[in-house]
Amino acid sequence: MRKPWMLWLLVALAPLVLGGALLLGSAGALWPDPRTELGRALLQLRLHRVVCGFAVGAGLAVAGAVLQALLRNPLAEPYVLGVSSGAGLGAALVITCGLATTSVFALPAGAFLFALATLALVFALATQRGRASIYGLLLSGVILSAIASSLLMLLLSLASTEGLHGITWWLLGNLQGDSTATLVLGSVLIAAAGIVVWWLARDLDALALGPELAHHLGIAPALVTALGLGCATLMTAAAVAMSGLIGFVGLIVPHALRALVGPGHRRLLPATALAGGCFLVLCDTFARTAFAPLEVPVGVVTALLGGPVFLWLLRRRAAGWVE
Amino acid sequence: MSAIELQNVSAAYRESDVLHAVSLTVAAGEWLALLGPNGAGKSTLLRVITGLLPARAGVALLNGRDIRAIRGTERARLVAVVPQELSTPLPFTVAELVGLGRVSARARLARPGAEDRRAIERALAYTDLLDLRDRPFGELSGGEKQRAALALALAQETRILLLDEPTAHLDLNHQWEILRLLDRLNRECRLTIVMTSHDLNLAAEFCARLALFDRGRLAALGKPAEVLREDLLREVYRCDVRVRQESGRAPEVRPERRPPPAAGTSAKKIHVLAGGGSGAELLRLLLLTGHQVSCGPLNMGDSDAQAAAALEIRAALEKPFSPLGKAALATARQFAGEAQVLVLAEVPFGPGNVALLTLAEEALARGARVLINTRHLDQRDFTPQREALPRLRALLDRGAVAWQHADEIFQALEKPA
Repeated sequence: MRKPWMLWLLVALAPLVLGGALLLGSAGALWPDPRTELGRALLQLRLHRVVCGFAVGAGLAVAGAVLQALLRNPLAEPYVLGVSSGAGLGAALVITCGLATTSVFALPAGAFLFALATLALVFALATQRGRASIYGLLLSGVILSAIASSLLMLLLSLASTEGLHGITWWLLGNLQGDSTATLVLGSVLIAAAGIVVWWLARDLDALALGPELAHHLGIAPALVTALGLGCATLMTAAAVAMSGLIGFVGLIVPHALRALVGPGHRRLLPATALAGGCFLVLCDTFARTAFAPLEVPVGVVTALLGGPVFLWLLRRRAAGWVE
Repeated sequence: MSAIELQNVSAAYRESDVLHAVSLTVAAGEWLALLGPNGAGKSTLLRVITGLLPARAGVALLNGRDIRAIRGTERARLVAVVPQELSTPLPFTVAELVGLGRVSARARLARPGAEDRRAIERALAYTDLLDLRDRPFGELSGGEKQRAALALALAQETRILLLDEPTAHLDLNHQWEILRLLDRLNRECRLTIVMTSHDLNLAAEFCARLALFDRGRLAALGKPAEVLREDLLREVYRCDVRVRQESGRAPEVRPERRPPPAAGTSAKKIHVLAGGGSGAELLRLLLLTGHQVSCGPLNMGDSDAQAAAALEIRAALEKPFSPLGKAALATARQFAGEAQVLVLAEVPFGPGNVALLTLAEEALARGARVLINTRHLDQRDFTPQREALPRLRALLDRGAVAWQHADEIFQALEKPA
């Protein structure tokens, strides 16, 4: 079932998915008339939403694939490791302090710093005698995620009404951002970090054999790990700054894509980016239209799909993945 | 030019030195085995040669160049390593996995070229994996995985191949299969091979030269017959071995197996005088060979006392960290009095345990046999008046038997009194 042309199939399918998402809305399936003002506004809203969904989905999926290769475990994922929650706390702090309006960089920067700090803390807590076990990482991730969420609630309780509106809107895991500047900056950051990890594709392949063998194959394990973790964190932070907390995209998508295009990262990463983007846009289209005129936060949809996949992977750990 | 040259290499993890001033040269096309017990420094040496562990002192040269001056991608085309066990979380097929041997051979993001495909095919063919090329690596058997690990290294197309215990987890036929394959690569492709091994006989069978390591030092280097000597192996491995050398064949090493004496014939009552861990191994050996063993006096908590308790050997015990007192001595004297043989272990003498010598003297006086360990005898007297050494010498003069290795005890026990 694994075929190289799967990648090209994805390339062909992606425009169809994205175009379809532009057509569908809570108002039903229709192409908005761009000649009317209402139609233009509707089109612009949907376009913003599709671009945002694609960038966030691609970023989260690629971040998941990179973390899985570097930590040598299929359960590694930004949301599960607490990186997303950390980024969320950072972004919320930026909003409550009123810094979000000062610069378009403030929100992603706050998210990135806190995401990086959370990842470092998760590693420090999980490391014993120089080794970080996957169970230690997952447990520390869950606990730090809970602490970050509680701090977020605390901020929410203490925030001024103006700030409150900002955080609540953003917490829902919503792709309908109102800032085009954040959308553009976030997409650029995700694309840039994505290109860097794609450039590291062969190093990620080799590192999947363990740091020692990677060294023997001519790779510098420490450098690649640091660069890869940094890029994965940056992609997560940008995604969180754009859309709030959306989980499990980085778990489902790389796993499915490995079965389709193989585990080699040269092909896997672009395929994961395309599929992750389309996946989130599809999930969002479902969230917008399934209960129309009501809307479900897209994070709810991904969690309902991703949670069971996570548990299934956890159960069949024996199938070749190592601790 | 030699393929690998080590000049006075010392290496360490954190604080503890693992290699001490090792100098070693491997000629191009040679096959060398690194032997020695666990922790002797064999694997550490491999790590130094691959640049994974920087030498603390000395130089490691690959083809005459300092390993530290060779870039990663270039080093990967000079020397390949087969790890003891290969595992990966990603669902690579065998061919994809072997293809990873080429990551340093082509530009980033480039597709595998004709050269890469040829190297992969050749590696798969040599390791007889062509039929398994599309199978998931995770589903292979242990022997097949080891062959795939070897194929991965061969795909690098290096002139030097290092292997860390290539036969460790394999059953007999797979061990031979791997070694025959290495033999072919060594002879046909003139590959330089360095491998660590625990199997002395396989190493002697296949390798022209052996290097024997003992606690981080190179204990011997040379042809199998020069390295696999009973005295040397006994010293390095701390166990009794026999080496059978037939002309025209590789020497064959096997551990000495001592059948327990039949009940009532040569089983003896033996009392062991020890302390500080000097007697634990002795107690175990004597018990295993069917003798009736007692020991003491010993301080409670002493590792010999713990060994005695674990082996259910009766022991005369004293409070921890105190000089051996009257009660314990009396019990020990009773045990020693019942024994036909007294064995004195490699124990340092101080004011606290000089009474051991008294027990030995009494035993010798009443006609029992006394065996005295004489290893580093003159460095073990810590009594204030330096009385232990002369008393030990006197015992030996009056007929006590000197021993250094456990098998000398057994030889003495087999002789009629």
